Amino acid sequence: MSTLSLKQLRKQFGDVTAVHEINLEVGDGEFLCILGPSGCGKSTALRMIAGFEEPTSGDILIDGQSVVTMAANHRPTAMVFQKYTLWPHMKVYDNIAFGLKLRGLARTEIDRKVNEALELVGLPDYGKRMPNQLSGGEQQRIALARALVLEPKILLLDEPFSNLDALLRVRLREELRRIQRRVKITAIFVTHDQEEALSLADRIAVMSKGRVEQLDVPSRIYDQPATLFVADFIGVMNLIPAQQNGATIDLGALRLESPTRVNGTVTVAIRPEDIAIVGESDVDAWGGEVEQIIDLGHYRKLLVKVPSVGTLKVYAPKALDLRENQLIGLNPSRFTIFRDGAAPIEVKREAVAPLEMSVAV
Amino acid sequence: MTTLTLSMRDRLKRYAAREGFGLFALIFLIIFIVLPILTVLLWGFAIRWRFPAVIPTEWGFDFWQETLSRADLRRAFPNSIVLSISVTLLSMVICLPASYAFARMNFRGKQFFLLSFLFTNAFPRLGLYVAIAIIFFRLGLVGTFAGVVIVQLLNTLLLMIWIPTAAFQGVERSLEEAALDVGASRLRVFMQITLPLVFPAVFAAVLLTFVNTFYETYGALLIGAPNVLTIPVIMFPLINNQPIPQYGAILSLVLFAPSVVLLLFANRLLRGGYLTAGFGV
Amino acid sequence: MVARSTRSLLPYILITPPIILVFGLIFFPAAQSFVRTLTGVDGSFSFERYLEFMNDRSSVTSLIFTFQVTFLSLIGLFAICYPLALYLRFSNSRVAYWAQMVALLPLFVPGIMSAYALIRFFRGRGLLETIIYQLSPVLSETYYSPYVKPEGIIIGSIWESIPFTVLVLLAGLRQVESGLIESAQDVGASRWTIFFQIILPLTRRAALIAFCLNFIAIFGSYTIPYLLGPAAPQTLGVLMQRTYQEYAQPLQAETQAVITFAVCALVGLLYVRTVSSQRTGRN
Repeated sequence: MSTLSLKQLRKQFGDVTAVHEINLEVGDGEFLCILGPSGCGKSTALRMIAGFEEPTSGDILIDGQSVVTMAANHRPTAMVFQKYTLWPHMKVYDNIAFGLKLRGLARTEIDRKVNEALELVGLPDYGKRMPNQLSGGEQQRIALARALVLEPKILLLDEPFSNLDALLRVRLREELRRIQRRVKITAIFVTHDQEEALSLADRIAVMSKGRVEQLDVPSRIYDQPATLFVADFIGVMNLIPAQQNGATIDLGALRLESPTRVNGTVTVAIRPEDIAIVGESDVDAWGGEVEQIIDLGHYRKLLVKVPSVGTLKVYAPKALDLRENQLIGLNPSRFTIFRDGAAPIEVKREAVAPLEMSVAV
Repeated sequence: MTTLTLSMRDRLKRYAAREGFGLFALIFLIIFIVLPILTVLLWGFAIRWRFPAVIPTEWGFDFWQETLSRADLRRAFPNSIVLSISVTLLSMVICLPASYAFARMNFRGKQFFLLSFLFTNAFPRLGLYVAIAIIFFRLGLVGTFAGVVIVQLLNTLLLMIWIPTAAFQGVERSLEEAALDVGASRLRVFMQITLPLVFPAVFAAVLLTFVNTFYETYGALLIGAPNVLTIPVIMFPLINNQPIPQYGAILSLVLFAPSVVLLLFANRLLRGGYLTAGFGV
Repeated sequence: MVARSTRSLLPYILITPPIILVFGLIFFPAAQSFVRTLTGVDGSFSFERYLEFMNDRSSVTSLIFTFQVTFLSLIGLFAICYPLALYLRFSNSRVAYWAQMVALLPLFVPGIMSAYALIRFFRGRGLLETIIYQLSPVLSETYYSPYVKPEGIIIGSIWESIPFTVLVLLAGLRQVESGLIESAQDVGASRWTIFFQIILPLTRRAALIAFCLNFIAIFGSYTIPYLLGPAAPQTLGVLMQRTYQEYAQPLQAETQAVITFAVCALVGLLYVRTVSSQRTGRN
C-alpha cells in the first residue's frame, strides 16, 4: 500500500545517458508498465528503483520518503528478474524463506508465510523441490512468490515472462494481474511487449532513448499517441510523410483538412482500422491495388499500394471477397497529424459507408 | 522386410567401423598406460619377481616396513605434507580474492593482468628456477623452506586464479542481486549465494593445487635440495641405479595416495570443464 | 568521495599479491638473467657467454638433441591424441567412456612415478618383454628396449602429455557445434571434406594451445629425460640441472636457461596470443 515517485531521475554511463530526467508518479496499488524497445533505459530505471544502479542525479521517493541513499538490501522493494533467478543450490522452500530468515522471523511464522505464498502462486506442495526440477513458468511463479512473501511496498518486475513461450506468457500475465489485485500491491512492470503492457497495466509509460514519451492509460496510449514514436511503436500504424499548405494536406487523390494553419513537412498517421474499404471508383477515396493478403485468422491484413501515398496497411473482414492485384478504394475516417515541435492533432473525417460485404467487387 | 534387414546390417557395419577404432584405441591405451601403472603396483607388493614370470612369484609387505623406516623418507614425508598444505593455503589466500576481483570488478588493465598469469606456463620450469635460484641465492632463500614455498606457489597461480575466475563469472549476477533485493547484506550474499555456487570449481582448484604441489619436483630439487627434501626428490637416486626396485615402487604408491582422492572426484572435475578452463581453452 | 576512491583501488589491492609473484619471480628473473648473459666479465655488453655455449660441443649437441626429441614427441603425441579426441567427440559408447578414462589416467600420476613405471615396464626383461616372451619366446629375442635411449624420452613425454592433449583437443572439438557438421553433411560433404574444411580449421586454436604448452613442457623437462634417456646426448633440462648442481656452475646454467627461454618464449608468445585473441574476441 504505497506510492512511488521519481523526481528528475537521471543515469549516465560514461558518455551515454541511459535515462534522462524522468518524472513519474505511481499511485497506491497501481500497476504501471514501463514499455519501450530494448536499450530505451527502462531496465536501468527499474534497477535504480531497486537500488542496483545508483542514479547520477534525481530522487526516488517511496511513500514520500527518499530512498536513493538506501542500499538495495534495505529498500522496501522486491524484484522479479527476467532470468529465473532461483538460487539453484536451495530448495524452493528455502528460496522463499531466505529473506524471511534474514528478518529473524519465528519458524512457524516463516512456515505459514511460505505456504501462503506458494498457495498464492498456485504451487502448493512445491516446497521440497529443487529449482532445476521446475519448468520455466513454475520457476518464475516461485520467483514471484519469493518477492511477494516479504510484503514489499513496491513490486518490481523486469521482463519476467520474456523467456517463456507465448501461450504460457499469456496465462502467467493473467495470473499476475489477479495476484496483484488480490494483494493490492503497487507494481512496476518493465516490458518491450506492447500486448503485455496493454493488457496488464493501469497506466503505461512509453520510453524511448531514455525519456518518457507518454504516460497514460492503455486506451489513450493506443488511440491518442502523444508522439510520433509512440504512434509508430504501439500497434500497427501507417505513417505517411506529407506537405501541409495552410489548412490542407494534399495526399494522393485526397485533400485532408487540418484545423490548424501551417506550412511545412508533417507526418500523417492512420491506424489500419480507421481506413474503410470502398469501391474502386469512389470519389472520396484513394484508389489502390491490393499487393498482398495476409491471413491473420479472424481477419485479414492487406497491403495496398496507393500511388503517391505509399503502401498502406488495411484490415479487411474475412467475408469480403478480395484477391491480390485487385483495385479497391480506401477511405480514411480518422488520422493524426504530427509536426516537429507541435502537439499532435487528431482529425476525424465524415464517416463513409464502407463497402457492403454482400457486394461482390 | 528386406530393406529393414539391409539397413540393420548397414547400421551394424557402421557401428563396427566406428567402435572398431574405439576398441583398438582402448586396447592400445590399456597396454600403454594401465600396464606400466600396474607394474608399479605389483612391484610394491612383490618380494620375488624374476623374468619370465608375468606376476611376482612371492608376495608380501616386507619391503614396506623397510622403505617406510628409511631415514630420508622420515625426513621427506613430513616436509612434503607441510609444504603442500602451506602452499595450498597460501595460494588460496592470495589467489581467491584476486580471482573475485577479476571476475566481478572492472578496472583498467584487467585483461592484461589476467593474461600475465599465462606466463607461468610460458617458461620452462627448470630454466626459470635456475634464474630464480640465482636471485634466491643472494637473498639466502636457497635450501630454505620459505624458498621452496615461494617457488611452488608460483606453480599454483594459473590454476588457482583462472579456475575460480571462470567460476565466479559463471554465477549470474542477478542471482546475487535477487538476494540483495530480499535484504541480505553483501557479506551474506557472498557467503550464502556466491560461495556455494562456486564451491565445486574452487574445490577442484584447491584439490589440484594440493596434489600438484605434493608431486612438484623441480622447485624442490633446485631450490630445496639438499636441506629441504621432498618425497619426489629423494626418489631420484632410488629409481636410478637402485638394485632393489621395491623402494621406488613403494614410494611411488605413497606419492600416489593423494591422487586417489583426486581420482574419486575426477568425473565431476572433468565434467565441469574446470581443468581446461585453467589453460585458456 | 573517499568511499569511491577506495572502491576503485580495491581490485588493484586484491590482485597485487599474485601479480607481484608473477612479475617478481617470472619477468624479473628472466629479464635479469637475459641481461646478465649479455654482460661480459668486465661488465660491458658482450656475447662471450653465448660464444662459450656455442663453442662447447656437448652444449650444442644437447640443444639439437632437445629439439629433435621435442618434435618427435609432439608428432607422436598428435598422431595418437587427435584421432582419439575425434573418436571421443563423436562416440557415446561405453568403449569411448573407458577409453577416455584410461587416456586421462596419467594426469593423476606423479611425474616421478610415471618415469619409474615406464622404466619397469619397458626396460629389458621388464613386464612388456615378459608378456611378449610368454606369447612367443622367439619374438621376445627381437625386443628392443627404449630404456636409456632417445626413444625412452619420447615415449615418456608422450605418456605424460596424453591426458592434457586429449582434454584440450576434446574441448576444442566440443566447441564445434554438431549443427555445423550436420549442415555440411546436408549439403553433401564427404567425411574427409568435413574433417579438413570444418573440423580442422575450427579446432586450430585448441591444437595450437596443445602444441605450445606441450612444446614448452617437453623442451624444458627434466625428470623423464634424466631417468629414461641416455647418458649422452643429454637434453637441455638435464644439462642445466647437472651444470647447476653437479658441476656447480650457475652462470653457465643460466646461459643454458636463457637459451631455453628464448626458444620457449617464441612458442609462449604464440600461446598467449592464441588465448588472448580468443578472449578479447569473446568479450
